[in-house]
Amino acid sequence: MSPVLCLENVTKRYGQTAAVDGVSFQAEPGRLVGLLGPNGAGKTSTLRMVTAITTPDEGRITLGGETVGPETQRRMGYLPEERGLYRKLRVGEQLVYLARLKGMSAGDATAAVKRWLDRFDAADWWARKTEDLSKGMQQKVQFIATVVHDPALVVLDEPFSGLDPINADVLESVIGEMRSAGRTVLFASHRMESVESLCDDVVLMARGRVVLAGPLRDVKRRFGRDTVSVAWSGPDAWLDALVAPAADGSSSGVRLLRRSAGLATLRLDDGIPPRRVLDAALAGADDVDRFDVHEPPLDEIFRQSVGEG
Amino acid sequence: MLCPYADLRNTRLMSPIALIASSEYLRRVRSKWFIATTLLTPILAVAVIALPAVMIAMSGDSAERTVAIVDATGVLADSVAAALPDTYAVRTTSAPADSLRAEVLAGDLGGVLVLPAGVLDGTARPRYLSRSTGLAEIAGIGDAVEDVVRAARVRRAGASPEVVALLDARVGLDQVSVSEDGDAADGALVQLFVANALAFLIYIAVLLYGAMVMRGVIEEKANRIVEVIASSVRPFELLMGKVLGIGAVGLTQLIGWGVIMAGAAAAAGPLLLAFAPDPATMAAAGEAGLDPAAFSAAFTPGLLTAFVAYFCGGYLLFAAVFAAVGSAVDQESDAQTLQAPIMIPIVVPMLFLPAVLNEPDGPTAVFLSLFPVSSPVLMVVRMSITDVPGWQIALSLALLAAAFVGTIWLAARVYRVGILMTGKRATLADLWRWMRTA
Repeated sequence: MSPVLCLENVTKRYGQTAAVDGVSFQAEPGRLVGLLGPNGAGKTSTLRMVTAITTPDEGRITLGGETVGPETQRRMGYLPEERGLYRKLRVGEQLVYLARLKGMSAGDATAAVKRWLDRFDAADWWARKTEDLSKGMQQKVQFIATVVHDPALVVLDEPFSGLDPINADVLESVIGEMRSAGRTVLFASHRMESVESLCDDVVLMARGRVVLAGPLRDVKRRFGRDTVSVAWSGPDAWLDALVAPAADGSSSGVRLLRRSAGLATLRLDDGIPPRRVLDAALAGADDVDRFDVHEPPLDEIFRQSVGEG
Repeated sequence: MLCPYADLRNTRLMSPIALIASSEYLRRVRSKWFIATTLLTPILAVAVIALPAVMIAMSGDSAERTVAIVDATGVLADSVAAALPDTYAVRTTSAPADSLRAEVLAGDLGGVLVLPAGVLDGTARPRYLSRSTGLAEIAGIGDAVEDVVRAARVRRAGASPEVVALLDARVGLDQVSVSEDGDAADGALVQLFVANALAFLIYIAVLLYGAMVMRGVIEEKANRIVEVIASSVRPFELLMGKVLGIGAVGLTQLIGWGVIMAGAAAAAGPLLLAFAPDPATMAAAGEAGLDPAAFSAAFTPGLLTAFVAYFCGGYLLFAAVFAAVGSAVDQESDAQTLQAPIMIPIVVPMLFLPAVLNEPDGPTAVFLSLFPVSSPVLMVVRMSITDVPGWQIALSLALLAAAFVGTIWLAARVYRVGILMTGKRATLADLWRWMRTA
């Protein structure tokens, strides 16, 4: 079983500003933890302390009870947001070097790199210069460098940004495997709606602080099933009428979260029954293709939490 | 370097510093650039030294110049013509000055030498007219006229031919360098040459490989690989590994150059001697020849060891600073302004080179050869030309080592902040702040 990553009251200041301000959370083995928040929330600063690139000014970060440092670095794999490789090095030499920096022996590193290249159908890249690879290929190499030493904790900063759909699928499946194998995966993203489905646990950050943390299901449950999604065909005037304020200026109690052609997500105030939306759609649209009552999306939860905080 | 995290024998893992150093070393030593510069630089150096001499030798035959001599004394023309170097064709004339001047302007005449009647009693000076005159030409003609006119004046004063001969004979000065190992004739010139060569070599090598460290740091930053590395090893280990690895590259290259030069000298020595003027005639002319044997005597094992030690010390000292500067910028062009504080301590010792050569045991020379910033260049210079007491060498090496430890400590503080900073051009004030707070 992989060790637990634990942050206790971690603070990091740059000059006068606290980039990370009293952050505490845990990441448990076999779970995918999403560190979510807008740009500038302190996600990257947090990950840099977790990976022992920087040290906290206050608080403590432990992996399996041991304060993070050179020793724990060997059991972590880190994929930074700004990714790069030595352009002039050949792929094999590059990956073996990076693996050996993680403490692998030359022999183990070579075998592991070959295994990973095989797995990505990239065995023939071994002797190619890195700068001759396409961007998508380089992304695979960067990812191999992150996991080649079979780390107990994988830390990914905006892992999906810049990935083409194929590489995004590859990454998602490998992350899934790591979770099944009992590894801990901590990743940061500002695109909450697209990573929501991946996370077991979420840590929502804003302005250096944790706004909300816990298992995704619990977090969502706390906010109740007050959101509906509708898909319809035909006119959409009914939707405008539904969300428009009443004649006396009071709220309709129905708020539009997302809207595209023939598709909308709406949040309902307390006491507004979901079927009011369904009725309006059935009356106004040609046909209703889908109607769904569910918990609010993560970005809506985030907005609400920050607003309340 | 001691391995802080893993026992080498138990795990057979290299320490991060050794691993980084060997990767940095191998990457560069295998490159086409390294092989080309190692092989070509000695050839280029020889070419730069030899080319002017070769060009003068080649041009000597082809560019024969015609010189007209207007001799108002009536007795000097033939002697001057005989005394002039072989490359001049002489025409004695009494043509008017205007037409001769026109001929010079038209390029038909190389020059006109005017010897007024007053030359013999010292009331007038000889004149040489030409379109353009090289230094060697003035010296050649000046020497010839000087010799002939002086002999003529002495004869007019009633001196016997014996006295004239005595005046013409050169005295010369044989220089002997005294040391515990024995006395070497003509040592001083060779030692000066060796001192200058070694000083410039250390100076250039420190700049060259120091800048290589800086480029390597900037490259890692620009490639964005540095954050991945920093999540695997300590920034200090990365800095140290890089500095040591590139230092080994420099040492390899210097040794390569030394071997190539020594091999070439061994092969070309006899060849050079065949071309060089016969030492006997040079001695007769009173000129100090450069004895090839004196060269090999000047490169004592002690001096070569010191050269390597001071190259390493000087390189390590400045490479640490170069790395700190590299970590503070995103691209090489931004490094210019931050580089000034490194360039000044590297360049300034070179300005003291003449002073140290003049008085190698004077207080200034001793101080500068102990002071860490200037000792790499100037101690090697002193050791080439004088016997430096052992305690001074030991003290200067100890000071250099202490300076390196202090510098790399400060550089590491800048480095670990700098490598993670992007998008913002750091100023010297920023670097100072990182040093204090990081």
